[in-house]
Amino acid sequence: MSQRSERRGIHVDQSELLCKKGCGYYGNAAWQGLCSKCWREEYQKARQRQIQEDWALAEKLQREEEAAYVSSHSSSQTQPPQSHSQPSLATFSKFEEKKTNEKTRKVTTVKKFFSPSSRTAPKKVPPEKESEKREKEKEEKLQGRRESHGETLLRDLKGIFTQPWDMGSPTEESHEGKTPSPSITRQSSIETDRVSRDFLEFLKTLQKPGREIHKQSRAFIESMGNKKDLSAEELSECVQDFYQGMSDRLLNHFKGSSEKVDRVMDQVEKYIMTRLYKSVFCPETSDDEKKDLATQRRIRALHWVTIQMLCVPVDEEIPEVSDSVVKAITDIIEMDSKRVPRDKLAFITSCSKHIFNAIRVTKNEPASADDFLPTLIYIVLKANPPRLQSNIQYITRFCNPSRLMTGEDGYYFTNLCCAVAFIEKLDAHSLNLSPEDFERYMSGQASPRRQDDPAAWLQSGSRVNPALSQIHHNLSVLSNLEKRQQQVMEGAQSLQTELAEWQDSVAREVQEILERYPLEIKSRASAIDAENVENDRLPPPLQPQVFAG
Amino acid sequence: MAAAGGKTYSFKVVLLGEGCVGKTSLVLRYCENKFNDKHITTLQASFLTKKLNITGKRVNLAIWDTAGQERFHALGPIYYRDSNGAILVYDVTDEDSFQKVKNWVKELRKMLGNEICLCIVGNKIDLEKERHVSVEEAEGYAESVGAKHYHTSAKLNKGIEELFLDLCKRMMETAQVEERSRGNGASQTSTARRGVQIVDDEPQTAMPAGGCCTSG
Repeated sequence: MSQRSERRGIHVDQSELLCKKGCGYYGNAAWQGLCSKCWREEYQKARQRQIQEDWALAEKLQREEEAAYVSSHSSSQTQPPQSHSQPSLATFSKFEEKKTNEKTRKVTTVKKFFSPSSRTAPKKVPPEKESEKREKEKEEKLQGRRESHGETLLRDLKGIFTQPWDMGSPTEESHEGKTPSPSITRQSSIETDRVSRDFLEFLKTLQKPGREIHKQSRAFIESMGNKKDLSAEELSECVQDFYQGMSDRLLNHFKGSSEKVDRVMDQVEKYIMTRLYKSVFCPETSDDEKKDLATQRRIRALHWVTIQMLCVPVDEEIPEVSDSVVKAITDIIEMDSKRVPRDKLAFITSCSKHIFNAIRVTKNEPASADDFLPTLIYIVLKANPPRLQSNIQYITRFCNPSRLMTGEDGYYFTNLCCAVAFIEKLDAHSLNLSPEDFERYMSGQASPRRQDDPAAWLQSGSRVNPALSQIHHNLSVLSNLEKRQQQVMEGAQSLQTELAEWQDSVAREVQEILERYPLEIKSRASAIDAENVENDRLPPPLQPQVFAG
Repeated sequence: MAAAGGKTYSFKVVLLGEGCVGKTSLVLRYCENKFNDKHITTLQASFLTKKLNITGKRVNLAIWDTAGQERFHALGPIYYRDSNGAILVYDVTDEDSFQKVKNWVKELRKMLGNEICLCIVGNKIDLEKERHVSVEEAEGYAESVGAKHYHTSAKLNKGIEELFLDLCKRMMETAQVEERSRGNGASQTSTARRGVQIVDDEPQTAMPAGGCCTSG
């Protein structure tokens, strides 16, 4: 009894605390009064049931769908004219057909490129053969669909998807071997596919030398497949030797002009590097990736560097200038997405052009290197381009040297290298800061912008950043709009009350008048026609006549 | 480097010198024949090309401007590797800028040896009255390091045409000597190989590597 009184505060019996299943352990309210062990069992059971139900539902839905599909098809087959009455289904099946065809085409082209026959005689795969094959497969597909239902179709599709990867030749494996996910593989193979087609197309215009070039390029790509263990420098040497040999051959054997040779070499570079990209960009044998990360971290640590510190001759408050700056940043980031060294160079050049534009608009004179380099450094700091070091290494290793050494692209590329070198070695002296300030900014203890009082910072912030001033401007416009909106609402409300009052007053007035002059309706003594008694001879009133039809 | 079967020469020329000595004006005067003009058509004056015809030989000149600020001094080697000629500009009214030129010359000779043709240019001779670098000193120094000295004025368009023409002729001579000293077939491969290897290197390592590669 005394025990009971002690427990009064809680009001629970010992039995209530135990697991509901009666296993002897304590239960928990969160587990619906069960102990952990029983709850887990219960929960598993419920989940299993749920999964089974879901499965059953899915199966049922699938069966229904298939049945609908089959019935629609059999009806369209037995009674062709009736298929018009089911336009949606018909178009859908057509769409399906198109899709499969497309896939088939891809497969055949991929096959074409990797099949042994095309390797020995690359030009001998006539286009008719391909289309014939496609036609045949299309027919097979159609038949398959007619005689059975979705399941066979599904199997066919699966076959199409797996086919190219199953039958991939060892060369293919080595080029695309590094890609982990199938979707990437497929995408890149489509791209290589397109580039290969373009290359063949281009070589056709060269006739005999074209065949030779193609043979050599193919042989080279294959030989590169066996050299995966080489260091990046050795790989670069192989590719550069190939470029050199090829252009020498073109110059000496085929007597091409230097411009023409350059054009051909551009195409060769595009073809080869698109194929080799996966295996030679940022290869595992090099420490490019480590450098990438180091540079990325370095740029991130330098986020506080301002235009003023670098003496960048660019005024971002001018809309056209800030526009150019944004475009330049976009281009330098975009560079990473390209595979061919020359395409990457083109993005660097485009970025530089935007920078020049920004400088010209600000200073109103053509930009010199004194202006250009600091601005490029600023852009790189702002953009923090992905895999910057890898890209630079890749371009220097695999770009056709004639482009890289003397041309305009080469100049901009050199400047980019300079910018990166500068960023790597940047210190207090190069930003005109005292070493103490530099240290404090680098360690994040202070920020150059926040030294002044907040108001000044806000002001300088809006000066530095045009987006901020834009936001301020927009905010004031918005508050102004809000005020005016309120005024309008008030006006509308007063108008509404006025209207109601007016309505009331009118009603009252009408009522008053009605009361003052009550409406008296005098009943007529006689019928309307009463006074016309003497006109007896008038014709009878007209009767409405009904005409049939 | 001589390219394309010896018929057309492509030369890379770097423009070195402190900021404000008039590098940009010099090259704009040469390529566009304009000075401080609002009608300059080019978007930029940092990379300019010029096609020349010297004694029946075609020459493509690519002029690389470099950032002259002191803080970018260390980046010099990245700019001037593989160049055939260097134009070192100083301001005749500015003693300091001449000292900078001396530094550049030392560096260039160390990195690129005697393969590079050096031109030392005293610009702004229209300000003769304020001259701080004596003619004798400058010309004596140029001779001592195997460079040619020129006096120019971008403002008055004096001496610029001669400077570039002279430089081109000297670069052609150097290229021809180089070509003769090597076999014809081997030269092309080795030229390209040399360039590739230098470009491959990191900026820091490029300094010693550049020296040894270009000497061979």
